[in-house]
Amino acid sequence: MIDIGRIVIKIAGRDAGKKAVIIDVLDNNYVLLDGETRRRKCNILHVEPLEQKIDIKKNAPHDEVSKALKELGIGTRETKPKPKTQKPKAKRKTPEQIRSQKEEKKKLRDIFRPKKKEEKPEAKAVTLEEKAGLVEEKKDEHKHEHKPDKKETKPKSEKPKKTPKNEEKKE
Amino acid sequence: MPAPRLRSRSLRKLFRKVPGGSTHIHYKRRKPKPAHCSGCGAVLKGIPRERPYKMRSMAKTKKRPERPYGGMLCSRCMRLEMIKRAIK
Repeated sequence: MIDIGRIVIKIAGRDAGKKAVIIDVLDNNYVLLDGETRRRKCNILHVEPLEQKIDIKKNAPHDEVSKALKELGIGTRETKPKPKTQKPKAKRKTPEQIRSQKEEKKKLRDIFRPKKKEEKPEAKAVTLEEKAGLVEEKKDEHKHEHKPDKKETKPKSEKPKKTPKNEEKKE
Repeated sequence: MPAPRLRSRSLRKLFRKVPGGSTHIHYKRRKPKPAHCSGCGAVLKGIPRERPYKMRSMAKTKKRPERPYGGMLCSRCMRLEMIKRAIK
């Protein structure tokens, strides 16, 4: 039953219930279909052959198949090829454009950077001067507070022990 | 003792371990029974078993197989149906 030109009904899958023609027998198991289904390879088990038959060449193009099927009143699935969308080509920039771009960037830099420079030094100057006075005073206080302690603690414990030993060794 | 409305057997109990270490009971509505083939009565595959509020949020293609009579007939019954048509 399965030979080229035989009209079949697809049983399984999303194309089930649609009619098509066998264009080619590829294998013991597979055939090529065209018609209401998409032009596709198909397992014989997923196809039910009918009594009708058409004269069609092996591997006939889609146009011939659609003409032959129209006489029987079977439509064909027409897939329109997608219109080719042209990708916008990246144009090379002229040197003038590049210059203008750079100038714009520079302008943006001028807007953002100098403000920071102006703000920071002022703030620092004020704070530093104030802090400097305070810090120096504090440091002095701290130094006065800490140093005597260290001098009292460390030298007593360390220096006297070391010095005599070293002197003895040297001697 | 749980609240009276939660004592009904129509609610499913989910025992969940809580970060504190104790188990808490979550009450949920039971799922509907799986979809069956109207021809042979077999359980249909590819159809999620969810409550309607979840089915509503799912896409159409996730709720049934993409073929004629998908979600109504099993594939075997559908094929027999198609063969019957072809013979007629």
